[in-house]
Amino acid sequence: MSLLDIDERILQVVELVDLRATPITDLKEPDEDGVTVGILEGGINNTYNEEVAKRMRERCKILVALGDCAVFGGVPAMRNFVGCEAALQRAYVDAESNDSEGKIPSSPELAQMTHVRAVHEVVPVDLHIPGCPPDADVIFYALTELAQGRIPDIKDEKLHWH
Amino acid sequence: MIKLTIDDKTIEVQEGTTVLEAAESAGLFVPTLCHHPQLTPYGGCRLCMVEVEGARTLQPSCTLPATDGMVIKTSTKKVLDARKFVLTLLFSERNHFCMYCQVSGGDCELQNRAYDEGMTHWDLQPNWQPFEVDASHPFIVLDNNRCILCRRCVRACGELVGNYTLGFEERGADSLLVADYDVPLGESTCISCGTCVQICPTGAIIDRQSAYQGKETEVDHHVGVCVECSVGCQRDVLTRDNRLVRIEGEWDAPLNHGLLCDKGRFLPLEEDRSRLLTPLVRKDGNLKAATWEEALQAISEGLSKGKELAAVASTRLPVEDLALFKSIFADGLNAGVVTTFEEGAATASIAKLADKLGKPFESRIDTLKETDAVLTLALDLVEEHQVAGFFVKRQLYNGTKLITADSKQSKLAEKADIKLTMKASEEGKLLSQLLAALENTAENPTLSEAATILHESENVCIVYGKEFTANADEDTLDLLLILAEKFDANLIGVKGNANSMAASQFGLDAPLTLDGVQSAFVLLADETPSQKLVKTLENVPFVVAQAAYGSKLTGNADVVLPVTMWAEQSGTYLNMDGRMQKAVKALDAPEGILTSHEALQKIADMLNIEVDLDWNTSLMARTPVVEITGV
Repeated sequence: MSLLDIDERILQVVELVDLRATPITDLKEPDEDGVTVGILEGGINNTYNEEVAKRMRERCKILVALGDCAVFGGVPAMRNFVGCEAALQRAYVDAESNDSEGKIPSSPELAQMTHVRAVHEVVPVDLHIPGCPPDADVIFYALTELAQGRIPDIKDEKLHWH
Repeated sequence: MIKLTIDDKTIEVQEGTTVLEAAESAGLFVPTLCHHPQLTPYGGCRLCMVEVEGARTLQPSCTLPATDGMVIKTSTKKVLDARKFVLTLLFSERNHFCMYCQVSGGDCELQNRAYDEGMTHWDLQPNWQPFEVDASHPFIVLDNNRCILCRRCVRACGELVGNYTLGFEERGADSLLVADYDVPLGESTCISCGTCVQICPTGAIIDRQSAYQGKETEVDHHVGVCVECSVGCQRDVLTRDNRLVRIEGEWDAPLNHGLLCDKGRFLPLEEDRSRLLTPLVRKDGNLKAATWEEALQAISEGLSKGKELAAVASTRLPVEDLALFKSIFADGLNAGVVTTFEEGAATASIAKLADKLGKPFESRIDTLKETDAVLTLALDLVEEHQVAGFFVKRQLYNGTKLITADSKQSKLAEKADIKLTMKASEEGKLLSQLLAALENTAENPTLSEAATILHESENVCIVYGKEFTANADEDTLDLLLILAEKFDANLIGVKGNANSMAASQFGLDAPLTLDGVQSAFVLLADETPSQKLVKTLENVPFVVAQAAYGSKLTGNADVVLPVTMWAEQSGTYLNMDGRMQKAVKALDAPEGILTSHEALQKIADMLNIEVDLDWNTSLMARTPVVEITGV
């Protein structure tokens, strides 16, 4: 969602690219025969995230990890300090807001929760843009560079997160 | 001199210089983390690695002595790769996720070094081992999850403060920063000086008071002098939106080089006395809010002159204020007694000695930093003038001998090699016994041993405080001089409050006697009056109090003038070893509050008193006990 921090400049970006797929467009997944750039937000928190990451890697020439969750694991990674089981127990059973019948959801249709990982721990990543969230100017810079066939250089002020 | 080449620059340095220091002297930047200019080089973090021509491996520049003909490269690919690798290892070892850390965004040296190297991420998987957070201390939070094991805090606690509270247990990745033998910091031997907080490069040691209150880029700095005792440490007062955020020691200050004690660093932020926000005048038996004009009118009607008037001020006030106070009450109104709350306890007797000798006889505090033997007389440097105490304590493990002479319990004495005891106010007797011991006529073996140590040590300091000076008669002081000569010792007197020495130079050191006094002017400023003072003034018919905070004394007063506290005024301070230093204003006072100086000036105008504002001349008119510098 931080992509929207670039406000009206998103129109300039749209003009530069052929936007193939996003989670909020009709086409949710990149074309099977591949795209040039793929951007992933969020860390790898469960088996579904793994699938998405692997598919994106297969189909994108340049894979970008955007934001601290994708780059480091982010806030959800704090659960790694206690482990999945304890985190689920706390959230679904022990939390003060739960009634006495609180239970951990389990269904074969649900993705399996895993240790939280950065994207690059699962698939190789070509460009990391850290920040929580990355500054709007940095996002705009990175997108316009990528759209024009260049790899953005994230350093100095563009790397500093205030 | 040694000549070496760093990055194609030829640099000449003194023997004993490290490669890092040589590079810095040539304006080259080599990143460091465990290194700190005030500490002994440690070589723990390996971030400062450089390439040395002819050497098989990269070398840590912080511990590598510069030698003649050395050729150093600080930014080859090999060096840059090594730096990134070191940072990667550090980041992945513990919880170094910047987004949930107090110091991230400019205040973290680890994050800043990674920024310098252009690191967008790190390649190794983090080690998800959690450590317990120790929040047992009233001011300090100790979080091992953020620790990079650089041991700056451990070294500062020992090398700089001499307290040796912090240390490490376990090894390698399990290394744990602990207090004493792994007790909660709040229950440890920590003295809350906060040096560890100031020196920690990450968020592993943070202070509760300023956490999340403002980053380096968001605060204003006001570098001035601490007013909590007569050592006169230089400190940096950090504010944001006219609010006190934090106080830090000035690393570059020649006197305290970054050190402060709890009184100078943490306690000023714990201020909880009620502030006086308007002048008060007693009407029909009750104190009522009034305007400045009404209050000044009441003063001009109620204040007596000459022998019937007493005036007493705080020695926490700047020199300028004390001078104006003296000019109004001693010269203008000829008050019977014009003095300070300390009544010259820390200064009167030694000032008389300087008058008699016609020259200063005390030494600078610096002599205490490198000494072989210290004798303290009725003075506990653990309880008061703590930073001077740090200078002594930190040398004890290097062989400096400490001899304490006290009439009551002293925490410093627990660290002493020889602990002498005496009866209260029998300092003179002890000095003559020491003198006798020197001539081998003492029966007491402890005294003989003390005398031998003092006699055989090269650099000796004798330090005394106000309990000694208040009791010392002329004979005792003569003995002190003889002893100093026999032991070739430096004499150092701690002077009480921030401006006790200036008060002494102005002659404001008489006992407060109130016989026949009809009115009293009490310049409290931000000092809390002692119970004794409150009681003494109870029988004075008309009392004017000029104060920042409400107290029993202001409650009993007939006129109360609200004035600024320490952070709201600028001024000059004369510390215990004669250094003239400036304190700067850090905060704006609440509306309607005047500085003590402005309020005094208003009183002078009201009473038509010509005041003398040339305080420099009157300050230097009396022979000081120690040479005054920085005028």
